[in-house]
Amino acid sequence: MINNLVFVILFLLGFYAILVKKNLIKMVIGLNIMEGAIFYWFISITDRGGAIPIVNGTQVASQMNDPVPQALILTGIVIGASTSAFLLTLVIELNKFTSSTNPDQIGGMIED
Amino acid sequence: MSITLILLIIVPLVTAILIPFIDVFSNSARKVLVAFATLLEFSIGMFIIASNFNAIMDNSFFLTYYLGEWIPPIGITLSMDMLSLFFSTLISISLLLIVTYSIGFIGHHEGKYYVLIFLIWAAMHGIVLTGDIFNLDVFLELLLITSAPLVAFKRNRNGTEAAIKYMFYGTIGGLFVFIGVVLVYFNLGTLNFADISQNFSNLSLFVQKIISFFFLTGIFIKMGVFPFHFWLSKAHSACPSSISALLSGVIVKVYVYVFIRLFWNVIGFDVLVATGLNHVILVIALISSIIGHIMALYENDVKRMLAYSTIANIGMIIAVLMINTKLALLAGLLHVVSHLLMKVSLFTATGYLLQFTPGHKRADLKGVAHKNMLIFSGFTIVAGGMVGFPPMIGFASKWYVIKAFLADGLHWGALIIMLGSIFAFVYYIRYVITGYKKISLGPPDKFRLILTVFYREQVVTDIAFFFVIAVIVSGIFFKLMFGPIEGAVQVIQNPSLYINAVLGM
Repeated sequence: MINNLVFVILFLLGFYAILVKKNLIKMVIGLNIMEGAIFYWFISITDRGGAIPIVNGTQVASQMNDPVPQALILTGIVIGASTSAFLLTLVIELNKFTSSTNPDQIGGMIED
Repeated sequence: MSITLILLIIVPLVTAILIPFIDVFSNSARKVLVAFATLLEFSIGMFIIASNFNAIMDNSFFLTYYLGEWIPPIGITLSMDMLSLFFSTLISISLLLIVTYSIGFIGHHEGKYYVLIFLIWAAMHGIVLTGDIFNLDVFLELLLITSAPLVAFKRNRNGTEAAIKYMFYGTIGGLFVFIGVVLVYFNLGTLNFADISQNFSNLSLFVQKIISFFFLTGIFIKMGVFPFHFWLSKAHSACPSSISALLSGVIVKVYVYVFIRLFWNVIGFDVLVATGLNHVILVIALISSIIGHIMALYENDVKRMLAYSTIANIGMIIAVLMINTKLALLAGLLHVVSHLLMKVSLFTATGYLLQFTPGHKRADLKGVAHKNMLIFSGFTIVAGGMVGFPPMIGFASKWYVIKAFLADGLHWGALIIMLGSIFAFVYYIRYVITGYKKISLGPPDKFRLILTVFYREQVVTDIAFFFVIAVIVSGIFFKLMFGPIEGAVQVIQNPSLYINAVLGM
């Protein structure tokens, strides 16, 4: 239960940063917090408190933790890292044109 | 096991990795590689059709490839049924033509451009072929992160702003899909489409509702349906026209495929009916359709007008799919083809015409027809198709969409679609009239002559004409497309076909 609660709080915290903060870099950090919240949540809810894989022949599969979420999270971390790296590149590029990182000067996220 | 499926993903992926290395040595070798890989990828798709022609004809077509020989539900399964084949063929044909168009159109940084194009190609085929929900999420992210640099390809302020927005919305959409994947794995312990589909109805209705909500939100953000449409017009208009055509014509259709696959074959349409979500989606999609048309009506920039028209047409496709009768699904898929052909055609023609104009505003297009009569006539014809005049394919698809609405008794839905067509008529005819206005042609522009060499004009105009002809010819012989579309509809309506074919029962 506490896992779900922490997930919801972290996720909304990141979402709050994207909605409210007036700095594109902080918004990227907010995006990262959202991603981190999901990774944390996925790892914690699938934790059965078992042994660490890889197991050897004498152990039973049901006694070990599920390795699949960890594999998925590793992939997710790579995706998250490349996404934020690219977003930060774009923010630097925008800064060259406008000398600011305020999202309002690009019309905000809602207007087009 | 069919090795051709994995080749469809690997060939563009390897090409994308090879291009930067070859580009260092020689430009012409890179050009040869691009042409070779494009033709190879296209011919693999055609080879699949040719070698399974009989199976396609009697609707028993199904190919699988198990990565690493892991038998489902454990490993990642690539599979191709009629629905995948339909979208894969659309992707192959349109990408072949768009890459050819780009050869004439993109005059700078070609190395980087083709790396991204081939990565997009690989991601799109991955999405269409994969049978694993996490793999789908990875390919969706790959598609996002490879198309965002192309949005910012002009490296001006507008493009960068558009790309930032595109990335924010796309990433948040991806996160919602990822939450859906987490919930599916937590509740069912599997990632395989067929396995999920088999066990999904055992979950409690509340969990089913939550999972559907997250997938739906994620895909709607990525598709730019009504409450999340803010990024689309900017992203689809800030980039060079070849990329606008790719984004607006093809990539959005790939998201439509994801929507269909998830909500008919994996989650199951019964869940949407049981939770009442189908009516909500129908209304949202129709609002999206009408809002897209209204925004296009108020828009003064030709490329942004086309982008808003995309929002409107995607809303229409989603709305008609939600009716979920055989006729409605057929109409939806026909409109996928029709909108793809017409939107790519409009963007390719516009991209060429904008070389003759000082800017993208409507007033800038004044008299552009007299500078280039043939291409602008093509633009006019396809714009007529967008509105729904026969004999263009837009007429056929809109006819079936309205027929599907009326057959289900949703008269107000049909009314909204027709109202949208009237709006479309108004906003297209304004551009056509401005284009045909008389102007005095001055002496030939010296700057134009340089551009002509730079842009290798012949290729660009040929591709633009090809699409115009394709719009007319497919509009006349649209009944020929009903064979493959009906096969796809059969797959959509019978998830058990997919489950049995993947799990081998």
